[in-house]
Amino acid sequence: MATRTIRVDYIARVEGESALDLHIRDGKVDAAHLAIFEPPRFFEALLRGRGFREVLDIVARICGICPIAYQMSGVHAIEQVLGVAVEPPIRALRRLLYCGEWIESHALHIVMLHAPDFLGYPDAITMAREHGAAVERGLALKKAGNALLRLLGGREIHPVNVRVGGFYRAPARAELAALVDTLKAAQDQAIATLRWAAGFEFPECRRDYEFVALRHAQDYPMNEGRIVSTAGLDIAAADYETEFLERQVPHSTALHSALKRRGAYLVGPLARYALNRDRLPAEVQALADEVGLEPVCCNPYRSILVRAVEVVYACGEALRLIVDYEPPSRPFVPVAPRAGTGHACSEAPRGILYHRYRLDAEGTILDARHVPPTAQNQGVIEADLRQTAAARLDLDEDELKAACEQSIRNHDPCISCAAHFLTLRVHRG
Amino acid sequence: MSEGCAAGVLVAGIGNPDRGDDGFGPAVARRLRERLPSGICVVERAGDILALIGDWEGFAHVVMVDAVKAMGEPGRIHRFDLRKCGLPIGFAYRSTHGFGVAEAVELARSLGRLPRHLVLYLVEGACFEIGVPLSPAVAHAVGEAAARIVEELASRSAAETEEGERA
Repeated sequence: MATRTIRVDYIARVEGESALDLHIRDGKVDAAHLAIFEPPRFFEALLRGRGFREVLDIVARICGICPIAYQMSGVHAIEQVLGVAVEPPIRALRRLLYCGEWIESHALHIVMLHAPDFLGYPDAITMAREHGAAVERGLALKKAGNALLRLLGGREIHPVNVRVGGFYRAPARAELAALVDTLKAAQDQAIATLRWAAGFEFPECRRDYEFVALRHAQDYPMNEGRIVSTAGLDIAAADYETEFLERQVPHSTALHSALKRRGAYLVGPLARYALNRDRLPAEVQALADEVGLEPVCCNPYRSILVRAVEVVYACGEALRLIVDYEPPSRPFVPVAPRAGTGHACSEAPRGILYHRYRLDAEGTILDARHVPPTAQNQGVIEADLRQTAAARLDLDEDELKAACEQSIRNHDPCISCAAHFLTLRVHRG
Repeated sequence: MSEGCAAGVLVAGIGNPDRGDDGFGPAVARRLRERLPSGICVVERAGDILALIGDWEGFAHVVMVDAVKAMGEPGRIHRFDLRKCGLPIGFAYRSTHGFGVAEAVELARSLGRLPRHLVLYLVEGACFEIGVPLSPAVAHAVGEAAARIVEELASRSAAETEEGERA
């Protein structure tokens, strides 16, 4: 029996620390394990016993890239328990804040992390010598996203301005208006980035994913909506745990999620777009058509195009929200503690992020649960890896490792969030 | 470059003050605010390292201060002229998504966006635990780093004045 083992000890250009183990036996891929060794961080446990007002500042520390997602899922779950309804301007400001996070997170991944795979460079630094304009656009987009986070969140990393009931401080119209020129420029840079990425060569690949995303009555989903899937799932966030389960696997400090009835599923840009393309403005849909992006894209390599479409959308949506903005009558509504359980899902850049909190009558957190997008995508990432490796077993070790890493980066995993990430070990013979 | 930074000099203290010796850069920045002449811009940066490239815009002379993992002599200060060369292997370190100061500098070099002078002071740290203060050796090095930077900027200023007078 011939066995070959290939291992990548540290996967580059992803957030966090992980390894990949490929076990190849008699010319077949026996197993592909995404081994996440980022240490468990116990955020859910450390929230127990804290007051509900502390939650948003704590969960903002879970991720340096997507803190808004944690704050948004958190604030909505807690407000559900407390029976809080926020004013429309607060809703609009939360959506604007989320636009900022989508722009900075997607721009980083598209240009700095994922594009080098398609253009044959080891990293963005080397790529920048020949694609300087594209990298400059990426940096400018990231800066624009950060500007939104800084204004609305108080600072771009681990923002502090979101509170249960609203914001600690709501911006004046003039403060938002000052960002209009930056965001108009960002919108042009996003369109140029989309057209640039559309020129890449994409490997032929079609995967039969069950896509899961939020769906809202009018909007492309960020903060609100029902959880729907391409296989007919249509549930409220409160029913998440009846349809989905998390299980431990020996090779990862992150829990693996699955649909109880059908197994692995995919969240993130491909899923959001497949389930919500009709919620994009006509001009954004026209741009997607112009670059040849199919309405339902099942090629994970082309996820970079969907991210770029979403950046275009987020810039335009941010501009719309700023133009329409009327400051709220007060930055937050008063809240009073009460006992109960709240559930919320929001669309982090990488996909749905589920939060559940149970509070006692004093507002103390009795227990908390977070299911981040990367944990949900691990099953699909491993299935993609098996397919990627199986089709490329004749490649030498380095080429195979590079192909596997690209396959992983298709899903922009955020390992710190999931460790609940990458080293490649190929075991073959 | 923001108003009030007319000297065209930026000092950036990099690090998270809540993670032990990672707080060295911000501690030096705070010390320098008291000692550097007005017109020299001093900032603290804890988060998005790539944003450093934007911070440098419009500045001819940039001094960065940061901490590096323990290398055998906690509190020892290393100075690198990053216009001349990149950070040596062993001193390069990474943060979120693999972008650290070394990557930001090399990306700026690829893009032709390095300032005319770019110097990095790195201290060897001992402890980067959450919530702990600077370790004694690193705390002691704050004054030394600040003094060296004041001296470097003063001699640069004197050299430029002399150059201007000759012209």
